Amino acid sequence: MSSCGPFPSASIGGILVRFEDVSLRYGGGPEVLGGVSFLLAPGSFHFMTGASGAGKSSLLSMIYLARKPSNGRIHLFDRDVAGLTRLEAARMRRKIGVVFQDFRLLDHLTALENVALPLKISGQRDEKVRHHVAELLAWVGLAEHLDSYPPTLSGGQKQRVAIARAVVGRPNLLLADEPTGNVDDRMAVRLLYLFEELNKLGTTIVIATHNDSLVARFDHPVVRLADSGVRVDRPGRGRA
Amino acid sequence: MRLFGKKDVPLDGDASGRFLPWLVAIMVYLAALALISALTMSRAVGHWQEGLSGTLTIQVPQEQGGEKAGAALDRILKLLLTTPGVREAKVMEPDEIERLLQPWLGAAASLAELPVPALVSVTFNPAAEPDFGVLAREVAKISPEAVVDTHRAWLGKVRSLARSVQWVALLVVALITGSAILIVTFATRMGLSVHGPVIQLLHLIGAHDSYIASQFQAHVLTFALRGGIAGLLLAIATVFAAGQTLKGNEALLLPDVALRPLDWTVLLLLPVAVTLVATLTARVTVLRTLARMP
Repeated sequence: MSSCGPFPSASIGGILVRFEDVSLRYGGGPEVLGGVSFLLAPGSFHFMTGASGAGKSSLLSMIYLARKPSNGRIHLFDRDVAGLTRLEAARMRRKIGVVFQDFRLLDHLTALENVALPLKISGQRDEKVRHHVAELLAWVGLAEHLDSYPPTLSGGQKQRVAIARAVVGRPNLLLADEPTGNVDDRMAVRLLYLFEELNKLGTTIVIATHNDSLVARFDHPVVRLADSGVRVDRPGRGRA
Repeated sequence: MRLFGKKDVPLDGDASGRFLPWLVAIMVYLAALALISALTMSRAVGHWQEGLSGTLTIQVPQEQGGEKAGAALDRILKLLLTTPGVREAKVMEPDEIERLLQPWLGAAASLAELPVPALVSVTFNPAAEPDFGVLAREVAKISPEAVVDTHRAWLGKVRSLARSVQWVALLVVALITGSAILIVTFATRMGLSVHGPVIQLLHLIGAHDSYIASQFQAHVLTFALRGGIAGLLLAIATVFAAGQTLKGNEALLLPDVALRPLDWTVLLLLPVAVTLVATLTARVTVLRTLARMP
């Protein structure tokens, strides 16, 4: 996979995510991503699409610092991630909300406790957060399931808990991997509105999805991953 | 329900949570008994040393080649009272000797039927003690079969025994501490492995290594303290039972096992120390293991 064409010569300052000729391979296997370069400005909203296996989840995992690139450089929040200490990486992750494709909820915690987890980790132990978390869960339609454990929830309900957990800390950057894959169209649109509301408050959003009709309903640029490379389609302007 | 009451890493359901308190209890029990033995022995030696310091005993056989011991005793007493450093010298009364021997010979034994030597109890100034070699030679001139016993040889053996007991106790405590560290390290590594996905998730939502370590520390703290207290209570019960059994057998020279305030302090600190070591071990294990992860 090649880079996404002309690389803006803007300085790193003011850029939230910057990939420079990044490639990724697992072990000694073939490249999953190759020579990927792109920028995400603060406050932007991007969809990310591509065929299954194109590397969407792998790319997102490098942004949320779960994986290191095999080659190239990644800058997040004006820092080269290669130079981060473990403590700095942990602090940076607190600025990033992630909706995982497989939800990754903790089965021994209730929906309320799962959603409150990022707040707990960031040191907010005030019991008043319960109200805030409960409100958020009610917003995603889970008011009746605050004390339910994940194994008792449906796929769609788990997905909404995962979304609530990702947004509860008002992250600077939200990465969502197929966040509407298990919900009906009505709920999918409702969740997209939630992401837009967050975006209006300043959160940068990247949503990886297969749902082209959903992408078409919203007026946001699309990062397309394909074997031929990465390209960014901007609404109303076609290929960027 | 408290929102933040539960551990994020579900360690409470692990097998380690069930068997580790028992192991800690056994370790604390053994360490407590070892410490009590060492403390008791040390105190007993001090007590004996204090009691025998500044004293010696001269044993004079009752009959010396047909001569009654009485004459020899008088001459020995005169010798002692003119020896520099001697404060007091007196011949022990038969009933006093009988009382000392009774625990070994029984109440029915009669001294009159036994060749029990006459005993001269001598008290001297420990700061200006007499020359025991010269004294022994002078006593031998009066009564060749008399024995001057300064108790030093016996005390030396007892001191050596006490030191051995103390070293063994220290070794036991050191081995137990080492075992505790190994067990906690193993259990913690097992926990890290079993709960790998949870730990990975916590990392991804911003948890630092020390946050995850604190989860393991809290778990280890709970079971170590619980096991430690149980082990200590069991050790105290054992010591109490031993104390009751030995009561009335003072003459066997077995040390008194009644606990003193210092002993209690040491014992009460034992579960605290074990808990501290276990908690610290868990923290170090988690931090070192996580630091090796990408």
